[in-house]
Amino acid sequence: MKSLSYDVKKCLGCKSCEIACGLAHSLTQDLFKAVKEEKLSLPRKNVYAVKGKNFPLSCRHCDDAKCVTACMSGCLVYDQDKGMVMHDESRCVGCWMCVMVCPYGAIRPDLKTKIPLRCDKCKDKDEPACVKACPTGAIIWKETL
Amino acid sequence: MKQFVIIGNSAAGIAAVEAIRSKDKTAKITIISNEEYPVYCRCMISYYLAGEVKEEKLFYRPKDFYQKNNLELILNKKVSRVDPKKNRVVCEDKTQVGYDALFIATGARPRFPAIPGIKKKGIFGLRTLKDAKEISSLIPVTKSISVLGGGLIGLKAAYALRKRGIEVKVVVKSKQILSQMLDNPAAAFLQKRLEDNGIELLLGQDVTEIIGEGDIQAVKLGSGKVFGCSMVVVGKGVEPNIDLVKEAGIDCKDGIIVNNLLQTNIPNVYAGGDVCASSHALWPIAVEQGRLAGLNMAGEKIIYDGSLGMNSIEFFGLPVISLGIYKTKEGDAAYEELKVCDPKENTYKKLVLKGNILVGVILAGKIKNSGVFLRLIREKIDLSSIKDRLLADDFGCPDILDLVKDKEKVYV
Ligand SMILES: Cc1cc2nc3c(=O)[nH]c(=O)nc-3n(C[C@H](O)[C@H](O)[C@H](O)COP(=O)(O)OP(=O)(O)OC[C@H]3O[C@@H](n4cnc5c(N)ncnc54)[C@H](O)[C@@H]3O)c2cc1C
Repeated sequence: MKSLSYDVKKCLGCKSCEIACGLAHSLTQDLFKAVKEEKLSLPRKNVYAVKGKNFPLSCRHCDDAKCVTACMSGCLVYDQDKGMVMHDESRCVGCWMCVMVCPYGAIRPDLKTKIPLRCDKCKDKDEPACVKACPTGAIIWKETL
Repeated sequence: MKQFVIIGNSAAGIAAVEAIRSKDKTAKITIISNEEYPVYCRCMISYYLAGEVKEEKLFYRPKDFYQKNNLELILNKKVSRVDPKKNRVVCEDKTQVGYDALFIATGARPRFPAIPGIKKKGIFGLRTLKDAKEISSLIPVTKSISVLGGGLIGLKAAYALRKRGIEVKVVVKSKQILSQMLDNPAAAFLQKRLEDNGIELLLGQDVTEIIGEGDIQAVKLGSGKVFGCSMVVVGKGVEPNIDLVKEAGIDCKDGIIVNNLLQTNIPNVYAGGDVCASSHALWPIAVEQGRLAGLNMAGEKIIYDGSLGMNSIEFFGLPVISLGIYKTKEGDAAYEELKVCDPKENTYKKLVLKGNILVGVILAGKIKNSGVFLRLIREKIDLSSIKDRLLADDFGCPDILDLVKDKEKVYV
């Protein structure tokens, strides 16, 4: 199972990962069209700058996920095999309980669609878009235990 | 083989069952409920009433949940008493079920104020799917409705009925809505949002009588004012379902009293969720208590370290989250409040600190980092070194990396 980690020393805070993330989750997959989509595709990753260092941040898919316990609609499930918190959007009512408890602030409430957004490791692709987009190699995509 | 009995097929009960099964694959587990449905999310019945969620979406476990986990589910049956001397529960129809360990998760029911007319037809609580269906079935013949109470349930009912096109008046005793979770400014934000969307709020008022021969015609306020309506929904708090333990010798005081293992004074009888004394009557807390009780019933000894009041709500696109101590007495020097308010953007953020430790938060409009604050509250972290950052728009988890207990593994 692969997961994301970050070499903070290499991150310049250019936010290429944010743009790539938004784009990867858009309908059209085309930057100039994507910004005009009715439901704007928001990045599921944000880069925070603290004391001169940059920290990309997105869902870590905790195995003792607090969001899964807090979810009341049953739309969040931890998938042991995939090592991922799976989100069934069709069941989600946007109650924001998951946002309320995420210790990393890694779930983004999309108030327009009433759907909480999180990193899905670009589930259908072999490498997440943020990894590909990072010009300095600060985003590491590798096998974890 | 061990026999576990669970009374209540809801948040706490199901969490307990799952916890027991995670430890013990073979024990016999029997769940008894006086409702007629497989487990559904109670918090979502107002979404159902609003027409935003279909009935089948309320059932938050798969259809084969009971079968797959080898659970015996008894629906439509009320337990009339618990008999700890004989380790059994006795149901209304006189059937009995014996247990080695019992979990009482009977929750709570709406409290109806003792005012003239309260027993009339057309007055509802909003607690069960059945309530929601009954209210829903009357909507075609209902033009206006009065909601009693400006708490979570009252407002959720008001929202749902407004969405269904009904004229809604909410009568609130206190001077603000949601006084159990919000301070004045946050409540005012939300109040405006509700009013802008056509819900009428009457603050500082109380209904003293419900008027009508046969059907409801009007409600009367303490001020003497009368206004017409043909239905009433009551959201004036809840009371725990403890009738079944009245003669069981189980200690109660406004709910069942449990120790920090979720155990009652009778060692093989546990309780959790809304039925407990000093419960916050909240879903995540019922789940957490159920889970720990289940683990302990299966032989663990996990301490429950108390619950923190917290909730998240959203009406008409304005999300609000409240955590811990959200309101302090004016002039109480023990607490410090940091806040920013932007009425144009509809955002409000208030942090309550006690000796540089975060004890409570209200977030309106922008809620993204709520869980980071929750973590600061839970871990009781001294925030003096980052106090100037707390209100910043870009404050987030990376600000607290050096302060929290678990060191980060994702940053190298
Ligand atoms: C409309 C609504 C909105 C809500 N919104 C929120 C929210 O936004 N956030 C939040 O945190 N909480 C919310 N809540 C509260 C939340 O639903 C409760 O805290 C939670 O359901 C408590 O779970 P429980 O398992 O303790 O009890 P309950 O859910 O009350 O379940 C108890 C079960 O036991 C059954 N029972 C009772 N007595 C007996 C008996 N003698 N024999 C057999 N069965 C019995 C009951 O019929 C019921 O099925 C809301 C509640 C309502 C009604």
